[in-house]
Amino acid sequence: MNFQVYNRDLCVGTIRIVGVASSSLLLVGDTQTIQLASVFDTPPESLIIGPFVPLTPK
Amino acid sequence: MTPMLQRTSVVNHLKVETLSFSSILEIGDSTFTQGFSRAIAVQREEEAFFGYEADFKSYPAFQIPIPFSPITENISMHSQQLNPITKVQNIDVIGVSASSILQIGSAKHISMEARVDHIRHLLTDHSDEK
Repeated sequence: MNFQVYNRDLCVGTIRIVGVASSSLLLVGDTQTIQLASVFDTPPESLIIGPFVPLTPK
Repeated sequence: MTPMLQRTSVVNHLKVETLSFSSILEIGDSTFTQGFSRAIAVQREEEAFFGYEADFKSYPAFQIPIPFSPITENISMHSQQLNPITKVQNIDVIGVSASSILQIGSAKHISMEARVDHIRHLLTDHSDEK
């Protein structure tokens, strides 16, 4: 594959962001490769009902 | 210098309120960027915090491998910079957290990974409430 790119003007006024979190990225610039991976789990057993004790007692 | 990294980043005004938990604010170029964060997020019905809570190894979210399919196709890329500037007038960020990165400048290779396990902890069963 042949990929030809012409980068002309790139001009942004204002960027307003509340949060960049959990291995996220805010990049003002060029890049060659980006690889992002994310795992989020909240299984049924993650709802615990009972008195407050540490999750796994020492 | 490779043709990809020819543009210069210009930010006239940058405001960041908080950087926390191994986050980075980088001004300048980079070749390799790697980020990794793990979190056990516990929400309790009432305020209760124990210093020692749990081991990551007891939750599958931190164990399962993330498969990446390898890039086999050969791509020949040519870019021409007709205006070699990336300009941003104003950036306003409240928080950068948990191994996140805010970079002004070019980056060659970036790889980031995040794993979060959410747990809710209630005192009583609320399921019969309307």
